[in-house]
Amino acid sequence: MINTDGQLFTIEGVAAGLIMLLTAYIVVGTTSLYTPGDSHISDMQLEQMGRDALHMMNTPNSSTADGLSTLQIVIKNNDIDRFRQTFLWYCNNRTGGTYDNLQFSADYYYRNNLTNDITQIHFTESRKPTGGEHPMRVTEWMQVDNSAGGSMPAQVEKRVQAVLVEVLIWRD
Amino acid sequence: MARLNSDAQWIVLMGFMVSFALFFLAIVVNQSTVVGQTTAEAVLEFPKNDIVDMRSEVLSASALSGNNLTLVTNDISSLSLSRKNAIVSFRVSAAPPGSPYTKTIEIHYNNGVTAYNETTSH
Repeated sequence: MINTDGQLFTIEGVAAGLIMLLTAYIVVGTTSLYTPGDSHISDMQLEQMGRDALHMMNTPNSSTADGLSTLQIVIKNNDIDRFRQTFLWYCNNRTGGTYDNLQFSADYYYRNNLTNDITQIHFTESRKPTGGEHPMRVTEWMQVDNSAGGSMPAQVEKRVQAVLVEVLIWRD
Repeated sequence: MARLNSDAQWIVLMGFMVSFALFFLAIVVNQSTVVGQTTAEAVLEFPKNDIVDMRSEVLSASALSGNNLTLVTNDISSLSLSRKNAIVSFRVSAAPPGSPYTKTIEIHYNNGVTAYNETTSH
């Protein structure tokens, strides 16, 4: 015979079961911990800042035809000290207090017109990468005239050319 | 067995409501880091900086003429393919008659996922 006395106990049992299931779900789902570093937000910021620094270096001070940017002058004259100083200054400068501690390693790539080979030239770095860093790669296109008084390395052709500057940047 | 007593039903109900509210709040907190990751990965993956930079270089190269323009065009295409895994092609031609501009520049960029095409004059 049908008896409705235990209705409340049944509902309680179902609710308790649901709570236990949800608890198990949460416990299993939180075994992998997410830290802010895993979510690439700092990578995104680092990449944008490095790119902005390179872009500032590649912006000429004047708009006249021969107005060269710092980056163009630096690459043309192979002036590694000026590149290192300017880039670190742009990256590590803060509005106040201590400097940031970003490090970089810079290369550039050029094309040989006879062989159509792409060659890498290591330019300079603020510290040798050990492989343990977590660097971001930022790049900047630039046009350099190596024909007139340029002192790029001897294997680079003496002509107007586009080179791609690639900088690895990481926080120490 | 004890007699069924329904005196404090609403206390039990409030207990349930509070625990469910806490549960949903915990889900919100749990998802917040993952949302940041999705955003950051989408930003990193989209070649915004590559395209902006490539466009700026192409416009600056379009001021060249003759052999220098050919050389720099080939430089940009080859270096893009080699270092950026992107096909970049651009062409500088004279602006159509009657145009207030002197040059027309067609730019094409494609890295397999993102394509960017532009025709501009200056």
